[in-house]
Amino acid sequence: MLSGVFHGSILFLVSAGLQVVFGVQKIFNLACGSFYALGAYVGVSAVGWYVGAGGPPALFIAPLAVAGLAVGAVGVPVERGLLRFVYDRDETFQLLLTFAIVLMMEDAIRMTWGTSPRSTSGLYLTYGRVGVLGTTVPVYNLIVIGASLAIAVLIGWLLTRTTFGWIIRASADNREMTEALGVDMRRLHTTVFTLGTALGTLGGALVIPATAAMSEMGIELIVEAFAVVVIGGLGSMRGAFVGALVVGVLRSIAISVYPELEMLLIYLIVIAVLVLRPRGLFGGPPA
Amino acid sequence: MLTVDAVDVFIQASHILRSVSLGVGPREVVCLVGRNGAGKTTTLRTIMGYLRPRAGGVEFRGHPIHGRRTHEIARLGVGWAPEDCGIFGDLTVAENIEIATRTRPGGRPATERIELAFRVFPMLRRYAGRKGPELSGGERKMLSIARALALDPELLVLDEPFEGLAPAIIPAVSEGLAAITELGRSILIAESNIHHVPEYTHRLYVIERGAIVFAGAQEDAWRDPGLARIIGSAT
Repeated sequence: MLSGVFHGSILFLVSAGLQVVFGVQKIFNLACGSFYALGAYVGVSAVGWYVGAGGPPALFIAPLAVAGLAVGAVGVPVERGLLRFVYDRDETFQLLLTFAIVLMMEDAIRMTWGTSPRSTSGLYLTYGRVGVLGTTVPVYNLIVIGASLAIAVLIGWLLTRTTFGWIIRASADNREMTEALGVDMRRLHTTVFTLGTALGTLGGALVIPATAAMSEMGIELIVEAFAVVVIGGLGSMRGAFVGALVVGVLRSIAISVYPELEMLLIYLIVIAVLVLRPRGLFGGPPA
Repeated sequence: MLTVDAVDVFIQASHILRSVSLGVGPREVVCLVGRNGAGKTTTLRTIMGYLRPRAGGVEFRGHPIHGRRTHEIARLGVGWAPEDCGIFGDLTVAENIEIATRTRPGGRPATERIELAFRVFPMLRRYAGRKGPELSGGERKMLSIARALALDPELLVLDEPFEGLAPAIIPAVSEGLAAITELGRSILIAESNIHHVPEYTHRLYVIERGAIVFAGAQEDAWRDPGLARIIGSAT
């Protein structure tokens, strides 16, 4: 169960990035999976460099998180150089473009880090294990779950209490009117996309002690993030939180009970949501 | 204050505005009247920078603004209330007003600007905690104008502020606009119903098929039988 919550925590970070970008820019960013993979590889390299430079292993999470967040800056050239040209185009163009970014980034990752999986070799259990609810879990998992919860609270605070959050919510509703209140939408798009990218890359970096970085991990995550968004409701941050938890826990239960059902179970839930509540658990009313 | 000078606007291949010129002076209320599809909204959207004129120019307080982006025009001091009100449904009434003080800080203090918006439309105070979808059409119109006022603009550009309102609510909106003019702000109103043009309007422009066919006092427009036919049917 807790391993499912751990996976759900990572999935929440990536899905939250997907949701905030969709909310403001109305683009379903398939490349969120690629940013997740990029964060994972950069995380492996950062930790490798840190350990190689003699840094204490107990603090490896610091360079991991910093590298994960910093590489989110790749969102700036992607948004300014590519996405801004398709905001007024049909959704098909937008999906095609973000899928093209997925393919390009997969190749770029292979060219940079090679085709073999990369891992942080043994750092996962640096903090040991602890007994929770009758089972033992790596302390690292609990740290990541706690960090994701903190980020969820931070996002909630940002959206409801700060001017930036108000502007995000306003522009998700009415882009033209927000602009007429003096908001530079170009700058907002770049900021929001970079924020979404950084959430994805941070998710990739944080998962890496628990698993190996592989070039195709991005595609796998896109499929799960899609399920999260359908279950939670497109554009809803609460939906991302609940959806990620549902997908993470279901996946974990399926793996422990009947592994062949892992993805099937998730998609049965997705189909049920699409039939019974097409806008997802937290999706808004039709425009 | 605002000068629109011989503006030509195309939307794709369609020639929508043909050499449109109009002006709004300090503390003036100016109405642009025309039938549906005559070019009123296109004129206002051109002023707000959503559309770029192919010829002619727009000046605000002596600065050309026709090449500027919408947010820059807003920051110069032009408040916009669109026909569909543009209420942010995820924000409360109070937040819809307050956000304008945050996106264009400076000038008068935020508390003063918010208080002023509520004073002009006191009815909104009762619904301060409600969200956009819970408001009636009249309340949405008032909120849209109140939010534009909270931006602390020199000029308010209002697209059809009386459209679709119940007769009982029209006086409340009209009184709000009158209060705004007493504050020394200028107002440009686009209106398709001549009967909704406020009596305190300083100048009337009539637009027909993308061209200004009359500029002058409201009573003079009625004296021209051809024009009276246009504005009389502009409902």
